[in-house]
Amino acid sequence: MEALEMYTVNARADVYTEELRLNLGPQHPSTHGVLRVELGMDGEIITAARCDIGYLHRCAEKIGENVSYLQFTPYTDRMDYLASMNNNLAWSLTVEKLMDLEVPERAQWLRMICVELNRIASHLIAFGTYGIDIGANTPFFYAFREREAIMGLLERPSGARMLYNYIQPGGVRRDIDENWVADVLAFCDEFEKRWAEYNTLLSGNAIFIKRTANIGILTKEMALAYGCTGPVLRGSGVRWDLRRDVPYLAPYDDVEFDIPVGEGTHGTLGDCWDRYWVRMREMMESIRIIRQGCAQLPDGEVMTKKQKGMYKTPMKPPVGAAYVRCENPRGELAFYAVSDGEASPIRLRTRAPSFCNLAVLDQLLPGCLLADGVAVIGSLDIVLGEVDR
Amino acid sequence: MQGLIDVFVQGFGFSSGFGTFAAYFVLIHSLLGFITVYSMFAIWLERKVAAHIQLRLGPMETGGWHGWAQSPADALKLLMKEDIIPAGANRFLFMIAPAVVFCGVFAGFIVLPFAEGMSIIDLDIGLFYIIAIASIEVVGVIMAGWASNSKYSLFGAVREAAQVVSYELPSATALLPSVLIVGSLSMGDFNTYQAEHGWLVFANPFMPIAALIFFIASLAGCKRAPFDLPEAESELVSGFHTEYSGMRFSFFGLEEFVSMFLVSAISATVFFGGYTLPFDILSVGAAPDVTLFDWLSGSAGFAQVDLLGSLTHLGGPVVFIVKVFALIFVQMWLRWTLPRLRVDQVMVMGYKYLLPWALVCVVGTALIEGLGS
Repeated sequence: MEALEMYTVNARADVYTEELRLNLGPQHPSTHGVLRVELGMDGEIITAARCDIGYLHRCAEKIGENVSYLQFTPYTDRMDYLASMNNNLAWSLTVEKLMDLEVPERAQWLRMICVELNRIASHLIAFGTYGIDIGANTPFFYAFREREAIMGLLERPSGARMLYNYIQPGGVRRDIDENWVADVLAFCDEFEKRWAEYNTLLSGNAIFIKRTANIGILTKEMALAYGCTGPVLRGSGVRWDLRRDVPYLAPYDDVEFDIPVGEGTHGTLGDCWDRYWVRMREMMESIRIIRQGCAQLPDGEVMTKKQKGMYKTPMKPPVGAAYVRCENPRGELAFYAVSDGEASPIRLRTRAPSFCNLAVLDQLLPGCLLADGVAVIGSLDIVLGEVDR
Repeated sequence: MQGLIDVFVQGFGFSSGFGTFAAYFVLIHSLLGFITVYSMFAIWLERKVAAHIQLRLGPMETGGWHGWAQSPADALKLLMKEDIIPAGANRFLFMIAPAVVFCGVFAGFIVLPFAEGMSIIDLDIGLFYIIAIASIEVVGVIMAGWASNSKYSLFGAVREAAQVVSYELPSATALLPSVLIVGSLSMGDFNTYQAEHGWLVFANPFMPIAALIFFIASLAGCKRAPFDLPEAESELVSGFHTEYSGMRFSFFGLEEFVSMFLVSAISATVFFGGYTLPFDILSVGAAPDVTLFDWLSGSAGFAQVDLLGSLTHLGGPVVFIVKVFALIFVQMWLRWTLPRLRVDQVMVMGYKYLLPWALVCVVGTALIEGLGS
């Protein structure tokens, strides 16, 4: 008996083990940019996680305080570079609120169509890269095929493929060409078929569901406490969408659309699968909005007459402050600008959705396997350009 | 085999011992040549298959026709690249690991019958030998992962060890029913049996299941998707070969393609008739009395060989390689379609589904064979 005990190893006391510190990033294939996560690993299990951000900090807010209101628009392009139109819109609305500008109706409808097209393009990236995170490389290329079509459509009025600088304070920069609306509608028809294809390719895949369901569960309470917004919040079952709840763009009141929320289809409410599926369904809702927008697009000016001369003399809003929130593909983007009557804001602050959504990562990771950790990061769909600004 | 030894002993006047050595030397180097050419083609094929699945074209420029020269160009590039050994690495293990990995798989090729009598050695325990020798690869991977002194490499190596050891059980068990039916472990005997009795995969209702289990388990053995955890790019950067570069790196890639060939060859031989076909479509004209293989297997002298007849009746190797490539294509197809399993799901799959079902196949086949005879 004694001899037996001699050879029995008490794993806790006799074998010296220690937590492995693993650096996930800043150079790592699946951190979606230059995010660094410091992980404590017990074998394959994550025991602790700490986010380290700031590798892409470009002082965008400080730059905004030193350039004119109009000159800052291209800088917003580069925050969430996958949803430049949406960023342009949020900034333009902020400046318009400061200056009390009226925007022509046609410009508002064009804004809505462009923003929704950009939302689809952004969600396509989320879908494609999420496939890569889970180990399926092919959906990415299918997603890029449709994204390419959207970039082609948005290039025609704006002249740029990715960083549009198209929506500007006072309206949109240029009117669309005559075939544009027809081409957008043709794209919508095409996209519906492609969307079904994505679902056979990835959404319905048994391995994919096994890898994402019940992983990284974000409860409703936690999502609200951390200030999560966008698909991350809706994935947890909260039906909150600024487009419906705090209308910031008039045409959204005139179109019909649903707000998809997570339902715990394959597991628990608020898991990675729910967040993924919310994004997938939002693409179809955007298609609905675009269709209605194209049907109701009014004629008229696309830029306020008052602002036509703004390229020559910088606009100087009256003293005051404005805070405008917009529903971006990744959640609530808000700009807070304080004007002292000069050509550039005295204070500029951005509330970036990715930044707030990322805050929850430290809480979601512990207890996951390493592979789940990658799935959780992917499901939050962050853009580091926006996190660090 | 004996024929080649005779050529060296009688033709060149070597002593019988040196003649044997020379004959094996030549054969093994021709096998190496075959493997190199095969790997280059397979890498090109993989890129093309991946590209066409992903709405791309793949290599189109290098060499002209559909980028056929892409692989040789890549090989040349890898040869010329600097061989970087990390400062913190264990130099010796780091350097020999790629060779160990490659040798284990290469050694398995020695018993593969490409056609009747066309294997370097037809061991009586050929199948057992392949399974045993191919396992050496794991040792090399662990050496590479540990010697790299990198955490990601270590993770990859540990995953590889767990995965391959677990999946050797179902893959070896799934081969047992065939052994029960044929009553031999010799790779040649599988072919001769199936030439007479038809493909083993249709021998009884359990055999298709066994073939499927072996195929899935062999995917895990070659680290192919959905079991590519040891080198999972989105999790472990490149897994156990993260720190490798140049030619040493290319050996790991080479090993992957070579082991794909090896497991597909086992599948083809054990389940799908090897180099035989149930019907004769490839032979044109009358079969030659004496073929090159007769000379290689030592049953005839070189002068008696009907060279032209042998070339038009190359059926065996062609059939065999077509079957192998069909299986390799399925492996590629799966890789570019499926997401990756998680490490615990891989274990669950192996121990809870594949292994029990493989055992069911063994028992079922044993019952059918026992009652039948």
